[in-house]
This record gives sequence, C-alpha cells and structure tokens, in this order.
Amino acid sequence: MDILNALLQGFATAISPVNLLWAFVGCVLGTAVGVLPGIGPAVAVAMLLPITSKVDVTASMIFFAGIYYGAMYGGSTTSILLNTPGETATMVTAMEGNKMAKSGRAGAALATAAIGSFVAGTIATVIVTLFAPVVADFAVKLGPPEYFMLMVLAFTTVSAVLGKSTLRGMTALLVGLAVGCIGLDQISGQPRYTLGKPELLDGIEIVLVAVGLFAVAEVMYAAMYEGRSTEAQNPMSKVYMTGNDWRRSIPAWLRGTEIGAPFGCIPAGGTEIPTFLSYATEKKLAKGENLAEFGTKGAIEGVAGPEAANNASVTAALIPLLTLGIPTSNTTAIMLGAFQNYGIQPGPQLFTSSAALVWALIASLYIGNVMLLILNLPMVKLWVQLLKIPKPQLYAGILIFATVGAYGMRQSAFDLVLLYGIGVFGVLMRRYDFPTAPVVVGMILGPLAEAQLRNAVSIGEGSFTVFLQRPMSLGLLVLVVAILVLPRLARARAARRLRTAR
Amino acid sequence: MQTAVGGGVLAIGLALAGGAISIPSAAGYGGVGPNFLPWVVAISLIGCGALIIREALTGGFRAMDEPSGAEHAYWPAFAWVSAGLLANAALITTIGFILSCTLCYVLAVQGLRRASGQPAGDPGGMAIDVFTGAAISAPVYWAFTQFLGINLPGLTSTGWL
Repeated sequence: MDILNALLQGFATAISPVNLLWAFVGCVLGTAVGVLPGIGPAVAVAMLLPITSKVDVTASMIFFAGIYYGAMYGGSTTSILLNTPGETATMVTAMEGNKMAKSGRAGAALATAAIGSFVAGTIATVIVTLFAPVVADFAVKLGPPEYFMLMVLAFTTVSAVLGKSTLRGMTALLVGLAVGCIGLDQISGQPRYTLGKPELLDGIEIVLVAVGLFAVAEVMYAAMYEGRSTEAQNPMSKVYMTGNDWRRSIPAWLRGTEIGAPFGCIPAGGTEIPTFLSYATEKKLAKGENLAEFGTKGAIEGVAGPEAANNASVTAALIPLLTLGIPTSNTTAIMLGAFQNYGIQPGPQLFTSSAALVWALIASLYIGNVMLLILNLPMVKLWVQLLKIPKPQLYAGILIFATVGAYGMRQSAFDLVLLYGIGVFGVLMRRYDFPTAPVVVGMILGPLAEAQLRNAVSIGEGSFTVFLQRPMSLGLLVLVVAILVLPRLARARAARRLRTAR
Repeated sequence: MQTAVGGGVLAIGLALAGGAISIPSAAGYGGVGPNFLPWVVAISLIGCGALIIREALTGGFRAMDEPSGAEHAYWPAFAWVSAGLLANAALITTIGFILSCTLCYVLAVQGLRRASGQPAGDPGGMAIDVFTGAAISAPVYWAFTQFLGINLPGLTSTGWL
C-alpha cells in the first residue's frame, strides 16, 4: 500500500500543469530527435543540461525522461521508413520493418511499433514501480566493496560485451576514465591533469564530451564521408492493423517485454542483446506462412517483439540508475549527470531523501507513455515530414544547438575549442570502429567508482583482499571474470573442434 | 593508418603516465591515493595501444565493421565545418551568439552542400543560408535567454541580439 500511496502522491505532482507541459515538450522533442537522423536522445539531453541551473529538479527530470522515452518511439519511425537504421536499438526493428514498408505495409509496421512500445513501456513502468523500492531497500545494505564491484561489472559489460572488439571497447572505456580524472581529485583535492589551466580544474563537462562525440562528430563524419550516400524513403501507407496483425502482434509484444525488462534491470545495459534475442525467438516460434514472411515480405512479429523488448529494457534501465546510481547507457549516464548538477546522487537513499522527486518521475513515465502513443499513432504523418529536411541544413543546424549546450553550461569559449577537438576525436573513433558509449559511462561512473574503491580499501585497512572477503563482492568479481573469460574459452573450444573436424 | 591509431592510443597512455608522475600519492591510511587510478589507466592504455598496434600489423583490426560511407574523406567539407566551429569559438564573445552561430551555420552548410555534390557559393544560395541560420539561432537564443534564463553572449546587452 505504501507504494500505491507514494505513486498517487507522485501523480499529484506530475499532473500539475507545469509538469505536464514539461512532459509534453519532452515527449515532442524526444520524438523529433528520434525521427531525425544524426541526433539521438543522449545528445539531446546533454545539449539541454544547462537548463538544470534554472529549472526545478522535478520538472527537468520529467522533461529529460520524456526525451529519453520519446526518442525510442521516434527512432522506430525512421528505421522503418528509411533504409538506414538510426541507432543500434532500432537496428533489429529495421530488418523486418524495412521489408514490411517495401511491400507496402509501412503503416502496420509503424502501428505495431508504437503500440508495442506503449504496452512494453507501461508494463516495464509497473515493474519499476514495484521493484525499484525493493531493490533500493536491498541496496542500502551494500557497502563500498560491493558498489565498486557493481560498477566494475557495468564497465565490463559496457566495454567488453556490448561492442564487437573487447580491446577497442576497453580502450574507449580507459579514455573515458582518463577524462573523468581531469580536475580536482574529489577526496584529496589534488589537481590532476589540469596542465596548469584554471579552466580544467573543474574537470571536463559531460555535455562537452557527449555533444562533441555524438553531435559534432556526427556532423563532421557526414560531411567527410557520407555526402554522396543516398537513402531511399519507403512509401507511407495507412496506419492500420488488421485483426490478423493484432493476433500476431500481441503475443510478440508480451514476449518482447518479458525478454527486455530483465536485461534493463541488471547493471549491464545495452538494448542490442534483448532486441536480437526477441527477434530470434519470434523467428523460431513463427510457423508456415508467417515464417516465410521473415526476410522476404517482412513479418510483423519481427517488428513487434524487438520494439517491445527495446522499450521494456530502456524503461527497466531506470531501476539500476535510480536505486544504485549506475547508468547502463549513454542517455542514463547523462541523466545521472543531470542529477549530479542538482547535487543529488542517485542511489538507495534517493527513495527516502528525494521520494517526492522519484515518484513524480515514475508517475510521469505512465503519463509520458500515453502522450507518446497519441503523438505517434494519429500524428505519425506529421513526424514523417521531418525526414524531408535536407541533410546539409539539418546537420549545420545541429551545430547551433551543440553550441548552446556546450557554451550554456559554463559560458566559456575555451569549451567550444574543446568541443571541436572532441568532435575530431569522435570522427576517428567512428572511422576505426571504437564504441563511444564506454567513454561516456567511464567518464561519469569513473570518479564514483574511484571513490568507492578508495573507501573500500580504507575499510580493508589498505588491503585489496577486502573484495574477496565479502561474499557479494566476491560473487560479483567471479561474474566479471566469467563475463570476460567464458566467451573466449567457448570460442577457443569451437575453433579447436573445427580444426579436429578437419 | 590503423598502426597510427594504435600509436595514438599508446601516446595518450604515455602522456597520462607522464602526468601521473606529478600527482602526489598522499594515500593517507587508506592505501590508495589520488595517483592510483591515473596509473592504472595510463598503464592499461599503454597495453591497449601496444595490442592495437599488434592487431594492425598482423592482419588489421579484429571484428571490425567496414566504416559506413565513402572510402576516402572529402577534406574540403572538413575544412568548411572546422572553419565554422572554430570561427564560432573565436567570435562568440565579441559578436554575440546569434551572429556567431549564423556564421558557423553558413560556413558548415557550404561544406555539407559541397560534400553532397550540391551547388554552393552562389550569392542567392548564400543569402538563403544566412537567413536560415539566423532563423534557427535567433529563436534558440531568445528561448534560452528569455525563458530559461541561461546566459548566452549577445552583441548588445538587450538580450535580444
């Protein structure tokens, strides 16, 4: 009953006209950002981080959550209608969605994506409502050693599991950690890597890195390499699902949610694995004519399942963010940065110290989902118009918004030069296939992990064995090692078997 | 080129190690001081750099996707976009947000147009670009300074230009 009461309180806050307006603007902006190529939710939230200095914390978190959510809805529109998938999260949606659109069923694909996102998002929000307080209660019992190992687990999965190459993922993570070191050390107050520049004493703003890597680098990359790439837009059709479409979509949505939600909950992150798993499941379960549609005419389950899995895991990712303070994606990492700007550290105490904020945020997720369903079903034709903006103007326009984000944070022209440098760095990373998410996660989580490490070793009276002495941190350590080693062993064994077979 | 990327990573690692030398350990009774993480990061990056060079020399990066887009960079576009961004950084405090961003937009659009093979540089097109750039920057400036109360530099102190 406590939860219900708290949630009702949250709704009372969230439906105040001002907060509703912020949620609505966030959803609209998020959908637009999702639809537009070249700009995603992480960078949109990052560009708008300067508002944290003026806007009240509840309103801005509701606003950011709206962007975070909205981009997921908008992203599927682009991946179905264009032949280039926007983000990794919608890559799987694009596989079947594109085929459906090509055979004249774009409308049905868009409908199942939007309704599936709504169903999965709402179920996952219920899961957040029910489980986040439980996890928070449990997390209070964790000490620095466990926290540190949880963060190492997040680092490992973000850099080693999600990317293609562990080496390049680790390199990206280390660069992020190094950037996180710049500035005053939080425990001893020692300046680190400041090169004597007073501008660097405060460290490097997350806005700069996110906007530089995602927005500026994207614009430069498009200018340098993708000018001649042409993309064909699939024809739009009436947004409508037949009875048969519904029959095939509903179970796929539910299965997708079931697969996606647990992946969001664990501090491992990433939507690639759950969406691919959901796709594989749907394909396996399909029979006869439905199976024949996979990869040919486009099967509706192949859009419904992954899209639901995507939204469920994105929503459930708020559980580790809010209860443990561990972000598992670019956008949640930047939202953590937003909390920090208010001097709030997400973690188990959040549910007691900032209960009103948390519950208003959760309530706004329910409201946002309804808003997004309305924005994305009847009004999808409007959003499609955004795809008509010519690329040169769109990308040059993005630079203006990048300037606002980077300059607005600290009012320093020095930051704009840094922004340019980070952009060039981002182009190199993209060209040589280094993942960018580990940089952002490493930069935000690095200082937190360092503090936990130093506290943990203090508890162990200077000895690192403290991590082995406590059962939970030992368990997490074993898990981290297993994540790093097992896939390699499996690969080596498969290679050996292949050789003996020959 | 891949070897150079590995060399770059190695160089970053070495630079970080160089910086880490000057950070005092001051571990106190905790045993782990402010120089611990910098050393871990520096040494690991040196290791990663070495491994990347090894991959590059022994058949190229492993598990690498073909980068999207053209095989060779179109450098004129890079120059235009760079000019836009750097001019913006240099001028924003003197000529104000709106004019500076419009200039950045106009320069970047020139590069992007050339990259996509569109005609660029004729006075009519430029005039349209100047107009579009101003039509994006001005409302953004007003929204942020007037409604959200965020300081952005102006040419005048009226808050409108």
